Amino acid sequence: MGYDPKNPMEGRITDLGPQYYGKHLPPIIANNKGKWLYHEILQPGVLVHVSETGDECYTVRAATCRLISIELIREICDIADKHCGGFLRFTTRNNVEFMVDSKDKVQPLIDDLKSRGNKFPIGGTGAGVTNIVHTQGWVHCHTPATDASGPVKCVMDELFEHFTSMKMPAQVRIALACCLNMCGAVHASDIAILGVHRKPPMVDDERIGPVCEIPLAIAACPTGAIKPSKAVVDGKEVKTVVVNNPRCMFCGNCYTMCPAMPLSDPEGDGIAILVGGKVSNSKSAPKFSKLVIPFLPNTPPRWPETVAAVKNIVETYAKDAKKYERIGEWAERIGWEKFFEKCDIPFTDKSIDDYRLAYDTWRTTTQFKYTKATAQYTE
Amino acid sequence: MPKHATPLLDQLESGPWPSFVSDMKRQAEKKPEVWDILGQLELSYHDRITHWKHGGIVGVFGYGGGIVGRYSDVPKQFPGVEHFHTIRVNQPSSKYYSTENLRAICNLWEKWGSGMTNMHGSTGDIILLGTKTENLEPFFWDLTHELGQDLGGSGSNLRSPACCLGQSRCEWACYDTQEACHQLTVKYQDELHRPAFPYKFKFKFSGCPNDCVAAIARSDFAVIGTWKDDIRIDQAAVKEYIAGNYPSNGGAHSGRDWGKFDIKKEVIDLCPTQCMWMEGGELKIDNSECTRCMHCINVMPRALRPGKEMGATVCMGAKAPILEGAQFATLIIPFVKVTKENEFQDLVDLIEKAWDWWMEVGKNRERIGEAMQRVGLPAFLEIMDVKPMPQHVREPRSNPYVFWKEEEVEGGWERDIKEFRRRHAM
Amino acid sequence: MAMSTEDLKAAILDKALKSPKAQLYIKDFYACDPDSSPRAIKNAANEMVREGKLTFWSSGSTTMYAAKGRAKNEEGDQGVN
Repeated sequence: MGYDPKNPMEGRITDLGPQYYGKHLPPIIANNKGKWLYHEILQPGVLVHVSETGDECYTVRAATCRLISIELIREICDIADKHCGGFLRFTTRNNVEFMVDSKDKVQPLIDDLKSRGNKFPIGGTGAGVTNIVHTQGWVHCHTPATDASGPVKCVMDELFEHFTSMKMPAQVRIALACCLNMCGAVHASDIAILGVHRKPPMVDDERIGPVCEIPLAIAACPTGAIKPSKAVVDGKEVKTVVVNNPRCMFCGNCYTMCPAMPLSDPEGDGIAILVGGKVSNSKSAPKFSKLVIPFLPNTPPRWPETVAAVKNIVETYAKDAKKYERIGEWAERIGWEKFFEKCDIPFTDKSIDDYRLAYDTWRTTTQFKYTKATAQYTE
Repeated sequence: MPKHATPLLDQLESGPWPSFVSDMKRQAEKKPEVWDILGQLELSYHDRITHWKHGGIVGVFGYGGGIVGRYSDVPKQFPGVEHFHTIRVNQPSSKYYSTENLRAICNLWEKWGSGMTNMHGSTGDIILLGTKTENLEPFFWDLTHELGQDLGGSGSNLRSPACCLGQSRCEWACYDTQEACHQLTVKYQDELHRPAFPYKFKFKFSGCPNDCVAAIARSDFAVIGTWKDDIRIDQAAVKEYIAGNYPSNGGAHSGRDWGKFDIKKEVIDLCPTQCMWMEGGELKIDNSECTRCMHCINVMPRALRPGKEMGATVCMGAKAPILEGAQFATLIIPFVKVTKENEFQDLVDLIEKAWDWWMEVGKNRERIGEAMQRVGLPAFLEIMDVKPMPQHVREPRSNPYVFWKEEEVEGGWERDIKEFRRRHAM
Repeated sequence: MAMSTEDLKAAILDKALKSPKAQLYIKDFYACDPDSSPRAIKNAANEMVREGKLTFWSSGSTTMYAAKGRAKNEEGDQGVN
C-alpha cells in the first residue's frame, strides 16, 4: 500500500483536519482541564499549576531555535518519554514545555535537560526576555532583507542571562521579521527586529514577459509607482514596466507577484528596530511597535550593530522602568523624547510617519464598560 | 564529513543559546541534503542576499494551500536543495503532542523531506522545510492514510486557526479555546484547503484579555475570552499577598528585589479605571467600572479570578502592515457566549455573515480589515447586524462629515429648484 | 436566474482560456454569471481544479486560477496539479 502514481485519486483522503487535541494531552492536563486554581513560577523556566482536585502540574520550559531538525525533535521525544509519560507541548514562542505530575520528578528532568549541552536552556518565564519569534530569513525565504535564525542566535547569546532570569520590570517580547511583509507580525512586540529593503526593484525586461502577469505587478504596488512600459529586447519591442523610484516604499509586494522585479541587495538591505508594542490588554491597550532605528547594516555572521542596539534598549529599560511597566508603557510615561535621550539613539526624520494614517478612533481593545447599549449581549 | 566549508556559519556554533548550525550539521550526517542547505546559507552569509526563488504552482492535487513552492537559484552548486518546497501541517489545538505522533511525523519527514522543520510557523502550523515536487503526493498520501493528519492553509484561504492553551493549563481561560479552535477548523476544511476569499483569513482564539496568541494583533477574527459578572475575590488570599506570604505576579518578578509587596502601589494604583480600593482590611472592586484588563488578576492569581459568567469579546480586522499599515482588530461584539453545546453557532453566524460580505465586495488581495476601513465602521456594523454603541469607538469622530442617507433626512433629498428660486433670487 | 453548475463551469473555462491574463483572481470569474453567488463561483472553480481543467497558482500569500498549462512560473515547473 501507499501512493500509486498511476492511480492518484484511488483511495485518496482529504479534509481530515488537524488531529484531535484530546489525544495529545498528558493525563495530568486532561484530568484537570478547566479545574485549575492558580499557578506560580517556582524558578526561571519552572511553573506549577494547582488544580481544585489537588493535583499539581509542574512544567519545565526550554528554548528551541524554531528551525530544528527531526533529530532534535526525536531527542525531545526521548526526554518526554523518559520523564513525562510521552507528552509535551510547544509554546507560541518556540519554547518546548515538559510537564510532570509531581514535584519529585522536576529535578531529574532539569538535570537531564542540563546534561545535553546548550541544547535546552531553561527559562523564558515571567519578567524576563523570552524566546524570539521569527521568520525564515535566508534559510528558506525568497523575499528577505536579512537572515532570521542568525540574528536571533546572536541577540539571544547576548541576552541569555535575561532568558534564564526574571530581573526585568515586566516581560520583554522580542520578534524578528525578515521583510516588511512581516510573516512574524512583529508590529506589536516590545522590540521588533525588522528586515528592510532600501533599493527599488530592478526590472528584468527580458524575463518579465515570460514569467509575470504584468497587470498584477502593476496592481501590487501600494503607491502606484509601477507603470506599463515598452522595451527593446533582441531588436523586438516587448511589454515591460517602469518604476517611479521616488515613490517606492520598498515593500517588495511587486516581487511577490513578479519574480522579474528583484529588490534584495547586499548594501540596500538591513535591519530596522521598532519598540514599544504589546498585545496584552493588561493595564494599557495593545500598542504598535514604533520605529526608533531606521537602518542597521546586514553584518553576518554576528550582526554586532543589531545586537548592541537591542541590548542597549533592554538594559536602559531594565534600569529605568517601574515594576510591571512594559517597554512601551515606560516610553509613554517618560515621553518618547526621553526614550531617545536615555537610550542615546539619534532621532531622525525616518521616525516621523509620512505614510497613511486612518481609523484612529476605532476601539482596538477589549476594554469597554457594560452599559445599556451592551444589554442585548449580556441579558 | 561536511560537503561545503562554512566558516561564517561556524561562528554561530559558539555562545550559550542553542545553535541551529550545530543542529543542522548533526542532521546532515543522516540526511546529506542538509549539507546543501548549509552550503547555500553560507553563500547567503557571504553574499548578504537570499538565494531562494519562489515557485507558484506546486501543491497536492485539489488543494490550493498547504504547500509553498521554493527553488534554489544556485541549483548546480547545491543540487540537494534544487527544489525546496515547504509543507504546512495543521497543528493540534495549542500544540500538545504525544511523542508517538511527533515521532511518526519525524519518520515521515525523514522519508520524504529534508529532515528540517519549524516548530512552529508564525500562524501555528508545523512547518516541514524542503522537499521535491515528486515527493509531495506520496507524502500527502502517507500523512492522511498513516497519520490521519492533514495540511494547513496558505494563499487566499482560511489559514490554520490557532489558540492559546486555554483551560487545559490556565486558570484564566474564559472559554474552551482548544475545542472552539478544533471544531471550527474541522467545520471549515474546504475554506482551509481551497481558495475561497479575496485574500487570507485568520481565526485566533485567546482565553482571556492577556491574549497569548496575539489574536488582536494578528487575526481577522479574534475571539478573546472575557466575563460579564464580578471578579471573584478570596479575601483571605488577599491578606496573604499583603503579608508577603504569596509571591506577587505568580513569582514572575522574583529575580530582583523590588521591595515588599505593596497592594496600593502595585495593584490599586495601576488599575486603568481606578475602580479598586481597600476598606476594612478587604479589597473592594467596583465591577461596573472594570474594563477586565487582567492586571490585578495577573498580580494576585491566588486571590482574584475572572467572574463566573464567561464568554468572549469578538474583534475583527487585524493584520500586519502590508498594504495599508498595521491594524489591530476592532471591537465588534462586546460579549458572546462560546460553547460547544450549540456547536459555537454564535461564532459561526458572525463568521459567515462577514465572509458573505467580504467575498462579494472585497478587492483582490484586500484583507477584511482593509475592506472595513474602505467602507467605514458604520457600514460594516450594519452588514454585521450590530447596533452601533459607544464601545465601538475610543472616542466619537471629530470631523462633521457624516454620510447621511436620504431616508434619514426629513422630506428626503428631492427638491424643486424652481420653487426655491421663487423665494431666492440669483 | 443563476446558471446551472455545468453552464457556469463552461463560462469559467471560456474566460480562463480566452482572457489576455493567464492567471485570474476568483473575482475575475464573478462576471461569468452575475446571478451566481461568489460562493457558487468559487465552488465551481475549485471543482474544475479537481477535474484537471484549472490549476492553482499561489504566491504563498495569494492564490489565483489558470487554465491548465497557462500559469506563468519561473521554473517552468508544472507541478502536479
